[in-house]
Amino acid sequence: MSTTVSPSTPAQAPPPEDGPAPQSSRIQQLGAAVLRALLTQRIVLLVVLLVAVIITMMTLSARNYLTAPYDLSYMSATLISAVPLVMLGLAELLVICSGRGGIDLSVGAIVSLTSMIFGFAYGEWAWPLWAAILLAAVFGGLCGAINGFLIAYIGYPALITTLATYYAFSSIAIVINDQQPISSRPIQDFFSAARSVPVGAGGNALQVPLGTLTFLLPTAVVIWLLLNRTTYGRRLYAIGTNDVAAEWSGIDVRRTRCVAYIAAGVISGLVAVVTVAQFASARPDAGVAGNGMALPAITIAVLGGVAITGGIGRVAGVVLATLLIVWLNAGILLAVPGNAGSQFQLFALGIVLIFAALLNGLTQRKYGRTG
Amino acid sequence: MSSSPLTPPGGAPATPQAHTAAARGRVLPFPITGQEIVLIAVVALLWVVLAVATPAFLTGGSLVPLLVAMAPVALIGIGMTVIIITGGIDVSVASIVLVCAVVVAKAMVNSGVGLVPAVLISVVLGGLLGLINGLLIAYGRVHAIIITFGTANLFKFLGLQLFGGTTVDNIPNTLDVFGRGAAGRTLGIPHSFLIMLVLAALAWYYLRHTAGGRHLYAIGGDADAARLAGVKVQRRVMLAYVLTGLLTGLAACFVIAQGTSTLAPNVGAGMELAAIAAVVIGGTSIMGGRGSVLGTVLGALLVQTVASGVTQLGWRSQLSSLFIGIFILIAVGADLIRQRTRRTA
Repeated sequence: MSTTVSPSTPAQAPPPEDGPAPQSSRIQQLGAAVLRALLTQRIVLLVVLLVAVIITMMTLSARNYLTAPYDLSYMSATLISAVPLVMLGLAELLVICSGRGGIDLSVGAIVSLTSMIFGFAYGEWAWPLWAAILLAAVFGGLCGAINGFLIAYIGYPALITTLATYYAFSSIAIVINDQQPISSRPIQDFFSAARSVPVGAGGNALQVPLGTLTFLLPTAVVIWLLLNRTTYGRRLYAIGTNDVAAEWSGIDVRRTRCVAYIAAGVISGLVAVVTVAQFASARPDAGVAGNGMALPAITIAVLGGVAITGGIGRVAGVVLATLLIVWLNAGILLAVPGNAGSQFQLFALGIVLIFAALLNGLTQRKYGRTG
Repeated sequence: MSSSPLTPPGGAPATPQAHTAAARGRVLPFPITGQEIVLIAVVALLWVVLAVATPAFLTGGSLVPLLVAMAPVALIGIGMTVIIITGGIDVSVASIVLVCAVVVAKAMVNSGVGLVPAVLISVVLGGLLGLINGLLIAYGRVHAIIITFGTANLFKFLGLQLFGGTTVDNIPNTLDVFGRGAAGRTLGIPHSFLIMLVLAALAWYYLRHTAGGRHLYAIGGDADAARLAGVKVQRRVMLAYVLTGLLTGLAACFVIAQGTSTLAPNVGAGMELAAIAAVVIGGTSIMGGRGSVLGTVLGALLVQTVASGVTQLGWRSQLSSLFIGIFILIAVGADLIRQRTRRTA
């Protein structure tokens, strides 16, 4: 601060100007630009990490260190576990972006409860599939609307509200059918929705899980369009960045924020359909068993560069973060077989998350706010 | 409203009597907040209803397990209250319980360590894990929820590795002084509950009547302002997580004592949310800067009363989560209404 050149103090020597660049400083500048892009552009960092993971795993695979080959067909088969992660990560993207401490701990519980509702509709009442899926989306949206109403209109803190609804929804999901899963005939046959289909032409067609095409891709595209090509998306970023300024510029902050939670609920409802297909059964604890689905989804969102303070976050970041975690996990499973493998996945997830978060803090101090 | 607790003594030169006892007393909020009075009333009401509905409720055979079961959650809740007052949160406590429990259980089974070393191991280990959280959060300057999501995974990995894919069997009854059996009681009151009460009282005094405690509120109210006023923000924040780690280590001993002689790898699951629920029901603001340990203890008591009441009424035990969720919403809603009326008044 004190070295700032001011015209009234000619006695102070001005900082030496960098002369016309010699060759070495050109390279330095390039290096600085690359470093800056790596640190400030989360997407660049994720792509680099992703490539590093794939190259490492393929090398290990080529030298027979892994229990099974890590190739394209394995990588595409593991995408099945990316479907719920990407979708719920996008749900968290919307909610966290809406600002004011936005977060949704209840997505896993909504998945559980909606699984049961979908199970009833499709498995027991014999609704047509399209109607049952529609019901799941609407019901998930209703659950999200409860969150959104309390948070946006009444002013409840998001963390607490969704903690409460997490408890409530998961409890109802278990009690609603007396702790029993629904796995009637139509539900079991619905497993076919989780099968793999060939993508690409002729002999080198890749087997891709159907869920990625029917659920993951459409959701990602719709959310991307919503955020980047509609006024709603602009409004959402605006209220997340500064909701007072947004209010003064005429945005209906409450409605915009409430819609974000409703959308998160709708996505959770669709994830419920995906999980029912994967398990071939509507399980009352589908979204909350073990670590649950909410915590990994939030982790993915944060890793994907969504700022927990709101207003910053991109669809591509969430998708890339999921691919990174899924393909890293898939590699770990081959490198460390058995029970220890799934434990090392926890380790990897934790390390990557903390690393990314610390990096965020560092870049914010070095370059200001990042995207 | 927020300016009164932060006004330094003598900060207003127009009032020379600012140092008198009466003026100093006015600086602190009343010892019991409205939220806590409501909580006491609700717990009392629930106990009366339960006593009428099931006569067995108000007997030692039912109240002792209730008090024993609430102790670990309340203990972790004390630390969580301190953290949330500073504006942070810790979702890794369940994983800390896992690590501490498996280490202590293995130490008792393999080396036959006694009561005091076992508790020491657990508390120190918990403190170390809390220190990791604290260092990363205070000096890495990253939001607490992100770091503790990360460390929750790391600690869980550590705990599961120590378990090695099986359960820990044949745990000796070294820790029975904290348990629900006859060895765990003096004059019919469980030791774990008493220890929790003493620690809660200490924390209550510290938060309310010492400079360090008030600094924690100042940090939660506005960390930048606190730093400018001379509070060592980073060190205080770090210590809050260390404290929670220590308390969580002790809670892990309680958890072992309450269980059977077999420890399964799912130990501690869900305790982070239970502790946060107790803190929030107790009226501590999740935004930081406001809250009390007394409320947290009452919140834990309410949660456990609901859980044991639901079982005693013969309902599905999972229904208790529904009620806990509803209670959280009511408690926070009541707090919101009170804040709003205070602001307009």
